[in-house]
Amino acid sequence: MIFVISFLVYFGLDLTPGDAVSHMISPELAATITPEKLEAMREAYGLNATFLERYWIWLTSCLKGDFGYSMAGGVAIKDIMVKTIPATLELSIVALIISTILGCSLGILSALKKGSATDSGLTVAGMAGVSIPEFFFALVAILIFGMHFQWLPVGGRLLPHYETLLDRIPNIIMPSMVLALALTAGAMRYSRSSMLDVLSREFIKTARSKGLPEWRINILHGFRVALTPVVVLIGFRLPLLIGGSTIIEQVFQWPGIGNMFIRSVRASDYPLVMMISLMYVFVVLTASLLIDLLTALIDPRVRLGKE
Amino acid sequence: MKKLIAVISLVLAQLLFVSTVSAQATNSNQLSDPRVRQALCMAIDMELIKSTLFEDQIIVADSLLPNGPMKSPNLPDYSYNPEKAKALLAEANWDNDRVLDTVFYYGDQLTSDLMAAIQGMFADVGVKMTYRLLQGDVGAQLNSVPEDGVNGPAAVDYDLGYGARGAMVMQEYYNTFKTGLNPQTPGNPKMDAMIEKINSSADPEVLKPYFFEIQEYQMNEVNICPLYYQKLFIYESDNVDRNGGAYGNAQYNYNWDITNWKVNTGTMQTNTGPTEFFEQPWYNLGLWIHNKIVFDRLLVSGGAIGTDIGVSMAESYEMSADGLNLSFKLKPGLKWHDGTDLTVKDVAFSLRLAMKSPQMHALVGNTVSSIVGAEAFANGSTDDVSGIKYNIANREISIEFAKLDPNVLTTFTQFAILPESQLAGIDPAQLQQHPFWQFPIGSGAFKLEEVKMNDFAKFVPNEDYHGGVANFDVLAYPSYDGDGNLIKNAAAGKMDYGFTKNVADVGALNAMSNMMTKAVDIPYTRMLWIMQYPKP
Repeated sequence: MIFVISFLVYFGLDLTPGDAVSHMISPELAATITPEKLEAMREAYGLNATFLERYWIWLTSCLKGDFGYSMAGGVAIKDIMVKTIPATLELSIVALIISTILGCSLGILSALKKGSATDSGLTVAGMAGVSIPEFFFALVAILIFGMHFQWLPVGGRLLPHYETLLDRIPNIIMPSMVLALALTAGAMRYSRSSMLDVLSREFIKTARSKGLPEWRINILHGFRVALTPVVVLIGFRLPLLIGGSTIIEQVFQWPGIGNMFIRSVRASDYPLVMMISLMYVFVVLTASLLIDLLTALIDPRVRLGKE
Repeated sequence: MKKLIAVISLVLAQLLFVSTVSAQATNSNQLSDPRVRQALCMAIDMELIKSTLFEDQIIVADSLLPNGPMKSPNLPDYSYNPEKAKALLAEANWDNDRVLDTVFYYGDQLTSDLMAAIQGMFADVGVKMTYRLLQGDVGAQLNSVPEDGVNGPAAVDYDLGYGARGAMVMQEYYNTFKTGLNPQTPGNPKMDAMIEKINSSADPEVLKPYFFEIQEYQMNEVNICPLYYQKLFIYESDNVDRNGGAYGNAQYNYNWDITNWKVNTGTMQTNTGPTEFFEQPWYNLGLWIHNKIVFDRLLVSGGAIGTDIGVSMAESYEMSADGLNLSFKLKPGLKWHDGTDLTVKDVAFSLRLAMKSPQMHALVGNTVSSIVGAEAFANGSTDDVSGIKYNIANREISIEFAKLDPNVLTTFTQFAILPESQLAGIDPAQLQQHPFWQFPIGSGAFKLEEVKMNDFAKFVPNEDYHGGVANFDVLAYPSYDGDGNLIKNAAAGKMDYGFTKNVADVGALNAMSNMMTKAVDIPYTRMLWIMQYPKP
């Protein structure tokens, strides 16, 4: 699967107009550079070889563990990834934690208060959260909390005087909250419907007939069972977050892999685009596998290899 | 009396004939007819565009050259005149069914709006036009020159091109019109001779009449339709006081006296920090903050690049009367940021490296390729450059040129000297790919202390700097002109200095109580290139 996808991505990149050199040399300066010098640059970067030759060189190098170098700046791709992936993971995980806690809590509340004003309000908020694009929330948040009140930094992840994790908290609040917003809405809707489904089951009635306190019925009996589809949803969210935080990274100048991906695509930096794409593919495939295993673990009905 | 009238009539008739002959298409492309090109220029109401789209923040252009001492006082008037445009088109038998294909390479909304405005104005005089954004290898699609630089056909496929020519030295505006070098305008011996003249001296007073001549010729021929001169806007927060330091063309390096600036907070925040690497300083000469503060040059220019040239790292310099020999003596005690000595050997190394490196500003490329022995060195037939001689102990280096470069002194106000100890043995074709550009070491007023790529770069004062020691740090974020983060950062108090050419930014910055902008006239001309070769 990975080989097929890598070929398709490489092929797609090859179809895009221009190459790394045409990005490096602006149109205005290109008018003053001789074609021979441009040719020398293309030769030096190996851009004059045919598509298949370039793909083969890239693939065999990868298989040998040599991921290559960014064409634009000559930095080893593994170094770029080592620097950018932690930033994206940090943002994604914080967003995932926030959205999971908030989404599940509000979903349960909504289910328990079904038909009430609280339920209706949360349903409307959930729809809004899912429907309105993230960048809009991001811009509104920057306008209010960054520019008007100046409570939070408008962008960036680190500063020279940041030494501890605590120093970095103000920088991550806005991007992670915005990223978590849409996810919260989704998790809330899932939790609500799952909880409602569970609350109508026979074993809940049995628990009530035993005189158990309501909180115990809802949380220990109800929510635990309702959790299965929510876990699947959250599991699928992590790879999506890693790839899907690109816009938030752009708006908040967050130095993550999504930001780098956009830059490398714009610069036709083939080696970097390829490795980031493959990383996304790998993460999604791995997450799918883990979710299958986790689902089987939580839900006894989903046991692989058993009748 | 009758004889006199007859003679005058004959002369007038001949003049009329000559005029008629020259004012017609020279090939199958109707745009080769000067009357059509004049009509297109006259169809555009640049004053209206200036006051609406550009909020009066541009200067309407009347030639390629910006306003200044080299501007000819005798240029033809192509200001908005739709009736005259219609008459010229009728006279030239313009094909009303022809649709002019216009290309541009700026992806911003303002450019699209400008294209729409020009399209409407052309329609008013009966000229149809479409426009499209070039993508991919824009340089090749825009600038490929025909094999036959006189008769064509064109090597590129468009009728009009909207773009800019930014120049530090005035010759840059015309040198590309030499036969065989221009993608739109067929070469001719007269133009070639005029180009030779404007490159024949380093003395501006000598060159002035030649610039007048070439400007008048080009505008009579209307090889291009000049639209406007773009301004550059320097913005500063109230945290910064230049302390009398000059404002100049911030795209390049000039004497801005940064070591004497006062910064209230002790840290000056700015943009153009690195995302993945620090760009080498010989391409976009002063675009990035590190170009200006980490690296140093032998000479220094005034705010208008190429004027008021003085010394920086050089203690003195001397140029021969014929302009073919230039020597420098370095100031004593110059150091790199790592504490090692900076010598004339580094200067020689930098010149040799620049001869082979392809990603190079035209100004620098022209100077280094003019040095005696440069060609043989660049093509690998020799290991050294015979035109460069130096004496480390005396701190002296002399450079001999094979041909006159009228802007050689300007080059040395922009040409950053790089450390041989860090870059020796490098493949010049991959200069930018060297690890040096992850943490560059220069000899400028500030040295890099810490960098987190795509996050920030912190520069601290260089205590060994020959021009005094600043008393503030510089913190650069990875934000650029037109990327949307400038306004956000400025509004949040994260921007103390920078420059932009975006007029929308200027309005937003001026609305902030803590920010000011200062307009600087720069040589940056936006124009319509007109394809005069036959279609490919």
